[in-house]
Amino acid sequence: MNKKIRPFRFMECAVLPLATGISAQTLRELRSAVSGIPDSSIYYHFWGRMIRPHISESEFNNDFASWVNNSIKDIKLAEVLSAINPDRFQKLNEIRVILENILDKRLENEDFLSWKKADRDFYFISCKKLMFETSCEASLPEELPSAVKKASRQSFFYHFIDGRRRSPECKDDFTQWLEQFPDETQEARKKIQKIDPYLFSLEELKEQIASLLEESFGKGGENTDV
Amino acid sequence: MSDILKQYAEVVGQHTIDSLLAIAERLKDRKIVHVNSTRSGGGVAEILSCMVPLSIELGLDVSWEVIEGDESFFNCTKIIHNSLQGTAGTLSESQINTYIKANRKNAERLKDILQDADYVFIHDPQPAAMIGMFPKRKGKWLWRCHIDASSPNKSVWQFLKKYVAAYDASIFSLADFAQQLPHPQFIISPSIDPICEKNIFLDKAEILKTYSRLGIGTDKPIILQVSRFDRFKDPLGVIESYRIIKEHVDIRLVLAGGEADDDPETGEILSQVRTAANGDPDISILLLPSDSHRTINALQSGADVVMQKSVKEGFGLTVTEAMWKKKPVIGGDVGGIRLQIINRFNGYRVQTPEGAAIRIRYLLSHPWNKAKMGENAKRYVLENFLITEQLRREMTLLISLDGKESSWERWI
Repeated sequence: MNKKIRPFRFMECAVLPLATGISAQTLRELRSAVSGIPDSSIYYHFWGRMIRPHISESEFNNDFASWVNNSIKDIKLAEVLSAINPDRFQKLNEIRVILENILDKRLENEDFLSWKKADRDFYFISCKKLMFETSCEASLPEELPSAVKKASRQSFFYHFIDGRRRSPECKDDFTQWLEQFPDETQEARKKIQKIDPYLFSLEELKEQIASLLEESFGKGGENTDV
Repeated sequence: MSDILKQYAEVVGQHTIDSLLAIAERLKDRKIVHVNSTRSGGGVAEILSCMVPLSIELGLDVSWEVIEGDESFFNCTKIIHNSLQGTAGTLSESQINTYIKANRKNAERLKDILQDADYVFIHDPQPAAMIGMFPKRKGKWLWRCHIDASSPNKSVWQFLKKYVAAYDASIFSLADFAQQLPHPQFIISPSIDPICEKNIFLDKAEILKTYSRLGIGTDKPIILQVSRFDRFKDPLGVIESYRIIKEHVDIRLVLAGGEADDDPETGEILSQVRTAANGDPDISILLLPSDSHRTINALQSGADVVMQKSVKEGFGLTVTEAMWKKKPVIGGDVGGIRLQIINRFNGYRVQTPEGAAIRIRYLLSHPWNKAKMGENAKRYVLENFLITEQLRREMTLLISLDGKESSWERWI
């Protein structure tokens, strides 16, 4: 092989939640606030939840859907909101527009739930995301399983969850890197792509990806420069 | 790597320690100071007593200072504390003077340390006014609020806000507690230390010995609440729950409270609790010295169900501690307890003594579910509420304050 292989460099990431001072007690207030919140708030309520306390049994994949279900008890709307796949949108503002449209449509029907006061307020949270390089890297697919195991939760979040958001093709960083080895990694890449990140906790995802990589490439690479 | 870091690595994994070391490297040569009101007793002192040594092990230059004050000062700060949690009342002119005078005196005493520090964490309201005495401070000052300040008493908050507004940032345990302030308000959960005496694994023999030493029989299921004797922890509500359960199941209740140097209300509440217990031999009321960490560990480890029936709660570290020992917790549906207990997954959140009673009866009669929820509880703490995670967040917060870029996404 003549082509120069670039190593997989593990990055670290921290997502720091910040109170915005904006909250909503009703669906109408939620709709109104969605237009004005910062992009990082959209990010936090769709992706940031993966890195803060949550359980895989959580039925809904974003905070808006969870709140509508738990505090407004509008189950239909919660289901519609939960169907938003945030990875499909390249810009955070596109998700905002989708949210606005869904809520506008719902509020056209002025029934009891559309003005019901929530059991608990929705607090909009924005965030700061900090990223930095680490010395951990893998040069060959065989080295990736042990390196993933050794990566911190936050690093795994950055490469697997956030990676899909950053990629126009919705591919996580591991998949993109493995594409350098097209034939030997084809099956593994397909399997990784099929994993739904919103149905598991971060630790569960990390374990799943590590064992999938191990099955595909063996347990080699214990001497990876980590 | 030091022995202490190795001990943490055994619990949280080497990857977590490597990650902490990499972040700490970016804060090398920066002076960090924590200031609070007591060296022992209560959640803040406990967090600092493990966070400061861990920070030092990671190579940070960190110190911990405690302010001094007389009884009138702590009576005044208790009013502020309770008012921030919503209790009605105002500060008198003389109480305001006492508060400011004590802060000024402490500022004078600590001026050499605080003036040149790169980062100063001021914990809770007691030392909050000190910032006013450092107009030429060198570093960034952060106000760390550990209290459930979701609906503060307006007049007391307006008084305190004058000082808090001057900080570079504040940190709250939950978004619900944040206030209208002219600076960034970060949300960071507090945490427990998995390798300290209070949270290490104890064998059964030691647990039984502790119960025996304290005169508590282990012949009946034990329901435990560990917390200060404070009205917001609702010890009277716990006794009410006990009486409801007792009609169906023969149990024992243990109410174990610590002493805190900065809490003048303990005696009054304790007396109410003793009256309510009315000499019931199955109710044990323990007033433990603030360093009884191993005893509390044994009590939590040996309990069948742990309660934290608070009606206001900043975070509820006793909930975290019990969960770490695989105990499902019955907690009040307030404050940080909401973040920790997920109904039916690792415990139950309740609103009333009756609600607590029915959940405890359920757990006592479904041991398999109780064990499963206990397992979930421990894992949940491991992933979210250990000191390593809190320190990681606080270190990255400090780094983020240095940035001049306005973008919310930044490479550092």
